[in-house]
Amino acid sequence: MAAPGDVTDVDTMQRLLDGADYLSDTGLATALFCAVRLPQPLLLEGEAGVGKTEAAKALATVLDTPLVRLQCYEGIDAGEALYEWNYPRQLLGIRVAEATGREVTEHDLFGPDYLVERPLLHAIRHPGPRPVVLLVDEIDRADDEFEAFLLEMLAEAAVTIPELGTVRAAVPPVVVLTSNRTRDLHDALKRRCLYHWIDYPDLDRAVAVIRRRVPAASATIAEQVAAAVARLRSLDVQKPPGLAEAINWVATLDLLGLDRLDPAAADTTLGSVLKYREDLELARERGSVWVAGGA
Amino acid sequence: MSDRLGSVDLAEVVAAFGQLLHAAGVPVTPERSGRFASTVTLARPATVDELYWAGRVTLLSGHDEIAVYDRVFDQVFRGVADVADWRGQEPSALAPPPPTGRARPPERGAAAPEHEGRGRVAPRLPRPAAVPPDRERGAAEASDLLAAASAEERLGHVDLAVLTDEELATLRHTMASLRWATPRRVSRRTVRHRRGRPLDLRATLRRARTTGGDPVRRTFRQPTERPRHLVLIADVSGSMEPYARAYLHLLHGAVRAARADAFVFATRLTRLTRTLATSDPDLALRRATASAPDWSGGTRIGAALKTFTDDHGRRGMARGAIVVIVSDGWETGDAGVLGEQMARLARLAHRIVWVNPRSAGAAYQPLVAGMAAALPHVDAFVSGHSVAALDEVVAAIRHAGGGPRR
Repeated sequence: MAAPGDVTDVDTMQRLLDGADYLSDTGLATALFCAVRLPQPLLLEGEAGVGKTEAAKALATVLDTPLVRLQCYEGIDAGEALYEWNYPRQLLGIRVAEATGREVTEHDLFGPDYLVERPLLHAIRHPGPRPVVLLVDEIDRADDEFEAFLLEMLAEAAVTIPELGTVRAAVPPVVVLTSNRTRDLHDALKRRCLYHWIDYPDLDRAVAVIRRRVPAASATIAEQVAAAVARLRSLDVQKPPGLAEAINWVATLDLLGLDRLDPAAADTTLGSVLKYREDLELARERGSVWVAGGA
Repeated sequence: MSDRLGSVDLAEVVAAFGQLLHAAGVPVTPERSGRFASTVTLARPATVDELYWAGRVTLLSGHDEIAVYDRVFDQVFRGVADVADWRGQEPSALAPPPPTGRARPPERGAAAPEHEGRGRVAPRLPRPAAVPPDRERGAAEASDLLAAASAEERLGHVDLAVLTDEELATLRHTMASLRWATPRRVSRRTVRHRRGRPLDLRATLRRARTTGGDPVRRTFRQPTERPRHLVLIADVSGSMEPYARAYLHLLHGAVRAARADAFVFATRLTRLTRTLATSDPDLALRRATASAPDWSGGTRIGAALKTFTDDHGRRGMARGAIVVIVSDGWETGDAGVLGEQMARLARLAHRIVWVNPRSAGAAYQPLVAGMAAALPHVDAFVSGHSVAALDEVVAAIRHAGGGPRR
């Protein structure tokens, strides 16, 4: 929809995100604006379900570029994040060459034909003209050694492959990292990043987001659910429900053909918001009338 | 930089603001200040709110810095708070919420007004006012034996609570040499191996080059093992105060040697991992004392454990980890809460080791309500009351056989 240069100020960014069905506040819009215009990698943190990943997706829609996503997990390494040689194909190539009497050199075998692009390399090799949005999701799940490996990429927008040399990005990707804070990230990584903490949205914005995400739902039910989720958060629950849970809840109620959140409906569908037995008990103790906003 | 914000020089404002933040404990680098300035130039914030976000996004690097940033920003750009307004407050009202604590207390904070505030409530780690009678007796007996035993050996069996600072310093070496090790678990990471499950195509093919392209000798990959994470949570409340200094040394050793995470609590939980991670133990201990403001307050073990599980444990720190709790179980809050929180923690952690220095007495019975509530969820219960007994603690942590209670 817009080239990075067209995003002239924070308001424009907010408007464009709105157009991509992502309702942001000034804080997040500022963060994404800086990420695109400075440009600088952006580290997003926040409770689960506040829309960290969605923000990156919306940014890709705004810039009308592909979203390249790297989901991190323990033990992720260069072969899974950057590139891998297609060994079975190389073997086949050798066999075919032998059978047909064709000459095959190592240069052929370690050429682009046999290279399997993983997300990071894919993002670097994107030809442009617009930058891709590279989402490094849940970076805290990867080993800390992997962070060090990411640094070259973040700082230089380049990666080094021994057999091919350094691949430099024609258009550096817009990098968004997310973390659930399961462990502290390295200072070196944080130093290179902008930082934004996404908070739970206020009631009005929550209603607006729900209505945007579940268009079939009525205004009443969106308001009721947003208020109920805020109430549940005020309880001492182990996993406070976020926006994602609220959206799920509305979708569930909608699927069941319920048009308002009454105590009975709240009681039967509570499992779509609270995912711990203790939390469910706590909410039931408080009473489904209270959850539904009765008293 | 010639951009002007009103009639003020942008570079000056940005630099001054960065310095104020730095003095308040947010590590602002020139690089970050530069980003802030670029953002102001690019986005031309029209309102104070926009300026607030431009600064927050570019200058900070963690959630725990937000509260300090808010305070400094309000003071500078909104003219809300006067320095005097927050000088006399408890640091708890200024510092970020309890779970994370201040990541970095100001080091050369002489210029930071907040430092004065801290000084007033400066937590301390005093010697117990009255030396327990058995100490005097013990010391007298010990003086006769001095010739035979080295100071370290002699002190090894003395209750940690009655050691003087000098004696503790003598024992530091012994405590530092404790062999921290946690049971290992299978990692997702793999290494090359002669046998194993997945074939390592990369290595096999490389070796195939020496045999004319035929993969004669195959190489495999095998999952590695890695040590389980270690988390130490120490009680520094009034009733545990005599042991607190000694256990701080222990925490320091564990953080340095086993990359453990360390917390202390009395009425609220403070994370000390970063504070203790420096190599100079004295400096680390001084900083640790400064960053746990409720040193020697009342004890709310249940609440502290809840904060730990909510903010750290559930996110991953306690999952499959070895959690060591150092406390006498003297809960001033609701013992029921402690039981619940222990059950919750037990479901996350691999093993829970409870260290209770007060349990060394022969007649000890876990009669304290808190201790009784916690015990069913504990895998190992040790005393760790003297340096020699610390071996037990280390052994309980290392203990791999038998597995967890489940």
